[in-house]
Amino acid sequence: MFSRWNWVACGFYLVLNICSPDASGGLVQSCGHIIPESPVLALGSNFTALCILNESCLDFGNIYASQIIWKIKNRLVPKEQYREINRTVSSVTFNDTSSLATPLTCNILADGQIEQNIYGITVTVGLAPEKPKNLSCIVHQVSRFTYVMTCTWNPGRHTFLDTQFRLRYSWPEEIFPDCIPKDVNNSCTVTDIQFFVNTEIWVEATNALGKAESDPLVVDPIDIVKPLPPQNVSVSSGVLPTVLKLCWENWISDAVMTLKFNIRYRIVGDTNWMEVPSEDTASPRTSFSVQGLRPYTEYVFSIRCMKEDGVGYWSDWSEEKTGITTEEQPSKGPPIWRIIDTSHSPACWTVHLIWKALKPFEANGVILQYELTVRDKSSLSNPVKKYNVTSTNHTLELPEGTYEVTLIARNSVGASPPSVLLIPASNSKAPVKNLRALPKHDKLWVGWTAPNSYVLKYVIEWCLVSSSSNCIIEWQIALGDVQGIDLKGIKPFKCYLITVYPLYADGQGSGQSVKAYLKQDRPSKGPTVQTKKVGKAEAVLTWNHLTVEEQNGFIRNYTILYKTIDGNETVVTVDPSKTEYTLSSLTSDTLYTVRMMASTDNGSRTGPDFTFTTQKFGKGEIEAIVVPVCLAFLLIVLLGVLFCFNKRDLIKKHIWPIVPDPSKSNIAQWSPQVPAKHNFNSKDQMYPEGSFTDVSVVEIEADDKKSFSEQDLKPFDLLKKEKSTSEGHSSGIGGSSCMSSPRQSVSDSDEGETAQNTSSTVQYSTVVLNGYRDQTPVQVFSRSESTQPLLDSEERSEDHAGGADSTAQRQQYFRQNGGQDETNTDRPCFERTKQITHANEGDLVGFVQLQISGQSSQPLGLGMEKNTQESALSSVLQTCTEGQTVRPETVEENPLSVDEMPKSYLPQTVRQGGYMPQ
Amino acid sequence: MAAADSPSTALRRRDLCSRGIRLAGKMRADVIDLLDAYVEQQGLDASASVAAVEGMPLAAVERWDEQTGTQRLLENLAAYRAFHALLAQMLEEQREQLGEADAGLGRALAAVLLQVSAFAYHLEELLRLENRGIPGEEEDGPPPPPRLSLFEQKLRGLGVLRELAQWAVRSVRDLRQLAKPSPATGAAPGLADSP
Repeated sequence: MFSRWNWVACGFYLVLNICSPDASGGLVQSCGHIIPESPVLALGSNFTALCILNESCLDFGNIYASQIIWKIKNRLVPKEQYREINRTVSSVTFNDTSSLATPLTCNILADGQIEQNIYGITVTVGLAPEKPKNLSCIVHQVSRFTYVMTCTWNPGRHTFLDTQFRLRYSWPEEIFPDCIPKDVNNSCTVTDIQFFVNTEIWVEATNALGKAESDPLVVDPIDIVKPLPPQNVSVSSGVLPTVLKLCWENWISDAVMTLKFNIRYRIVGDTNWMEVPSEDTASPRTSFSVQGLRPYTEYVFSIRCMKEDGVGYWSDWSEEKTGITTEEQPSKGPPIWRIIDTSHSPACWTVHLIWKALKPFEANGVILQYELTVRDKSSLSNPVKKYNVTSTNHTLELPEGTYEVTLIARNSVGASPPSVLLIPASNSKAPVKNLRALPKHDKLWVGWTAPNSYVLKYVIEWCLVSSSSNCIIEWQIALGDVQGIDLKGIKPFKCYLITVYPLYADGQGSGQSVKAYLKQDRPSKGPTVQTKKVGKAEAVLTWNHLTVEEQNGFIRNYTILYKTIDGNETVVTVDPSKTEYTLSSLTSDTLYTVRMMASTDNGSRTGPDFTFTTQKFGKGEIEAIVVPVCLAFLLIVLLGVLFCFNKRDLIKKHIWPIVPDPSKSNIAQWSPQVPAKHNFNSKDQMYPEGSFTDVSVVEIEADDKKSFSEQDLKPFDLLKKEKSTSEGHSSGIGGSSCMSSPRQSVSDSDEGETAQNTSSTVQYSTVVLNGYRDQTPVQVFSRSESTQPLLDSEERSEDHAGGADSTAQRQQYFRQNGGQDETNTDRPCFERTKQITHANEGDLVGFVQLQISGQSSQPLGLGMEKNTQESALSSVLQTCTEGQTVRPETVEENPLSVDEMPKSYLPQTVRQGGYMPQ
Repeated sequence: MAAADSPSTALRRRDLCSRGIRLAGKMRADVIDLLDAYVEQQGLDASASVAAVEGMPLAAVERWDEQTGTQRLLENLAAYRAFHALLAQMLEEQREQLGEADAGLGRALAAVLLQVSAFAYHLEELLRLENRGIPGEEEDGPPPPPRLSLFEQKLRGLGVLRELAQWAVRSVRDLRQLAKPSPATGAAPGLADSP
C-alpha cells in the first residue's frame, strides 16, 4: 500500500517538474536531457545519444537510468541498443543513421508501468555536399559596355540538407564578392567582370555536414566572351551585277578585343546557306564585298563575330538583311517548241509556238519582250517575218512547209542568244527506240534509245490523260546526248501520256508515245457489272471500263466473282480489254450474286453486287412444250367439233329436248288431269290435307331383307302382276320405277352395309293421289326418305337434265306412284341398260326382291312406257329385266355406275313434281 | 639573368605583356569614356586646364627610349599604385557627393579602379619574373590630401583621369617594348641593361 502511494507521488512529481515554471525563470524544469541536442547526422554513420537524468528527480522520484527507454517516433528502440552508463545516464547507439527518425525521445517507466517522457530531440540526417564538378563559365556581352559572366557546374548528389552554393572568384591580390545563386544550385551570374586579368573561379558548397570546393577555373574573362553579333547590317549593290557589299557595326571596341567574322548568304527562297571563306573575314572590319553572285538575284545575308584569335565563343548570327544584284543580259535563249494543228486543212497549219520563260538565273533580269523570227526555208523568196511578243506563246497560220523559228529574250541590259527551232514539212526522220517510263526515287523517269543518226536534242511532251478534259501538253527539251530525263510536276496515281521527238539538224523524227504512272494505287471504285442476257445455264455479263481517273493505275485484269446464295464463290479472271463475259454452267432457276473487281499493280477494288436469277427453262423448251400441247388441244377440239357435227342430231336432242305435249300424253288419258304448274313452296299446298286417298307404307329393314316373309311380299307380287297386266296405262309409274328402283333395290336389298352407313332404315312410301270429286287432277308421288348417296347421282343427273333447281332436287325424293304421263324417258333407261349388259343374265335370283325393295321395277315401267310409245315392249322388258337382275352385283363392284341412273330421272321427276321447263 | 629565362618564363612574360597591353588599351578606352561622362556629370569644361595633382607621377618622361625594362616596370607600378589611391579617393568622394544618384559614374570609376589594380598586378608579376623585389607599398599610404573644396575635388578628379589616360598610352608602349624579343637571348632588351 505504501509502495503504491509512493509511485503515484513520484509520477505526480515528474509531471510537476515538467510542467511547472521553474523558480529560476525557465518555463520547464525537465527531469533530464539528451546529448547531443538536435544533431545533424551523416546518412549511414553511427550515432550515440545520452539521456542524462537530473539528480533532483533521482532523490524525489526514485528514478534511475536503468528505467530509461528510448523511442523513435513512438517506436521503441530495442534494449540491446541501450547502455546504462551510470545511475543517471543511459545511452543509445544506432549503427546506421538511416534507421533514425524524428523525434528521438528519452522516456522512463515509473513503477515499471507508467511511461513518462523525459526529453526529445530532433534528428536530421543527410549528406555532406559533394565536390562541384564541371565548372564552366561564359561571358555574355549584353550591351556595348556591359558584360556578365555566367558559370555553371554540377552540384553533385542531393544532400537532403540545406546546402549553400556560392561562386567565388578572385585575382591574386583581390577577392571579389561571392556570387550566390538564386533559386538554383548549379549556376550563377557575375556582373562585375574585368578583362585581361586571370581570374580564379571556383564553387563552394556548404551544409551542416561539411563544405566542398570545386577545382578552380583560372581564366581571363576576355577569353570566354560571347560577343553580341554585329549590328545595323546593310547590303548594297555595286556596279558589278555579281557583287553585293555588306556594312555593319561592331558593338565591342577594339580596345576590348578585335574580332573576326563569318558571313553567310543564300538566295531568297533557298534554304541552303553559303559562306564567305573564313580567311577572307578573319580580320577586324566593318564591311565586306561578297562576290560571285548571280545577276538580278535577291540574297539574304547574316554575320557573326568572335575574338580574333578564336578563343572564346562565336556570337549569334546577326539579323538577316537582303540585297539584290543588278541585271545582266540573259545568258541563254528560251527553249521553244511548237504544236501544229492541221485539223482545218492539211495544207494550212495552225502553228502554236510555245516557249518557256527563262529561269531567273538565266534571265538575269526582267524579260521585257521576246523577239520571234519565222523564216520559210522552203521558199527563199518569202520575207522573214518578225514578231515582238510579251507572252510565252504565239500562234501563226502557215502553209505547209519547212520553217526556221528563232527566238530571242530581251531584258533591260541586252538580248539573249537566239533559240532556233526547225519545223520540217514532215517528221520523216527516225524516231527514238525503246521508249519507257519508270518511277525512280519519286520521280517519273523517261528513257529511250537514241536513233542511229546524230540528234541535236529531244523534246519530251507529256500530258495528264483525263476523260473529262483535253490533254494539256507540257514539254521539256533535253540535250542530244541525253537518253533519259526526270519529268517534273508529275502527280501520283495519274496517267500520263509521254511522247518523245528527236530533233535533228535537218529535220525532226516522229514521236513515240508511252503511258505511265508515277505511282499506282488500287482503283478508286470497282466496275459496275450487270447482265445483258440471262439464260437457263448461262448469263452474259457486261460492264463499262473505269474512267482513267478511277483507274489509279494500269488495270491488269478484271475479276468476276459470282455465287449462289449458299454456294461457294466462283472467281473468273477476265482480260482488261473486255467489257463482256458469259458465265456458263449455271444452275437453272437460281439466284446468283455477282460482283466485279478491277485490279492494278497496287491493289483491287470491287464494284457493287448485282443479282440475277437464271431462267427455269432454256431457250425453246417452253415452245417445245407449249406448241405440241396447243396442237394436241386444237386437234382434240377439231375432232370434237367433227364429232359433234356428226352427232348434231343427238346433241340437239340433249340441248333442246323435245318437249312432249302433255295433251297428247298417254298418262293424261290414264290419270286425272295434271295442272300445268305446281307450286312447290309449301307441302301443304302441294299436298293438302285429305288429298291422300290411298297410302301404303312399306318398311324394309335394309340389313335384313331376308326377314321378309312371303306374305309381306305378296302385295308387291300383286303389284307386279298388276303392272304387268296394265302395261298400257302404267307407263308413268313404270317410268318412275325405272328411275329410282334400281338404286333403291341396291341400297335396300343387297347393299346392306352401304345402307347402314347412311340409314339403317329406309322408308319408302308410295303415295297415290286420286282425283277428288273429279275436280283436280290427282298427283301421284313416290316418296323416299332414304339418305342413301343417291342424292349425288341425282344432282349429277340434274346437270344432264339441264337446269333443275334445288326444289327439283328435293322433288326427286318423291317417288311417283300414281300415273304420270311421262314420256321420253327411254333414253336414260337405254343408257343404263347398256351399262348393265355385261351382267350375268342367269342371275335372276333377286328379281322379285328387287321389285320389293325398289317398290317397282322402273326398268320395267320404263320399258312399259316405251313399249307403249314405240310398241317394243317385249324387247325392252327383256332388257330391263336383265338390268334389274344384274343390278346388285354391279353396284357392289362399282357403285359409281349407279350415278348415271338419275340421268333419266330428272326430267321425269320434274314432270312428276309439276315443274315444267318452259 | 635574362639569358637564364626558361621557355616557360619567356612564355609567361609574353603572356603577361600581351595581356597588360590589352588591359592598358581597354583601360585607356574606358578612361576616355569615363572622362566624357565625368566632365558632363561634374559640369566641367572638357578643355579646362588642370594643374598637376599632388602625388601623381606624370607619364611624360624625357629619354623614354633609354629606360631599362625594370625601370619602366617600376615607374609604371609606382604610377598605378598612386592612381589606385587617387581613384579610390575619387570614388569615395563621388559616393559622398552623389550617393546612389549616379550609379553609372560610380560603376565606371570602380571598373577603372579595378583595371588599375589589375594592371598593377601585371607589373608586379613581370617584376617577379625579373626576380626583382617588389617595392612595398607605403605602410601608411600617401599622406592624406589636403581638404579641398568641391570644385577643386572635381578638377582634381579630371586631372587624375586625364593623367591616367596618358599613363595607359605610355604603359602600352612600355609593355610593347618589354615584349620585344631580344635578338640574342629572346629576352626583353630593356631588362638586360637594367640597373
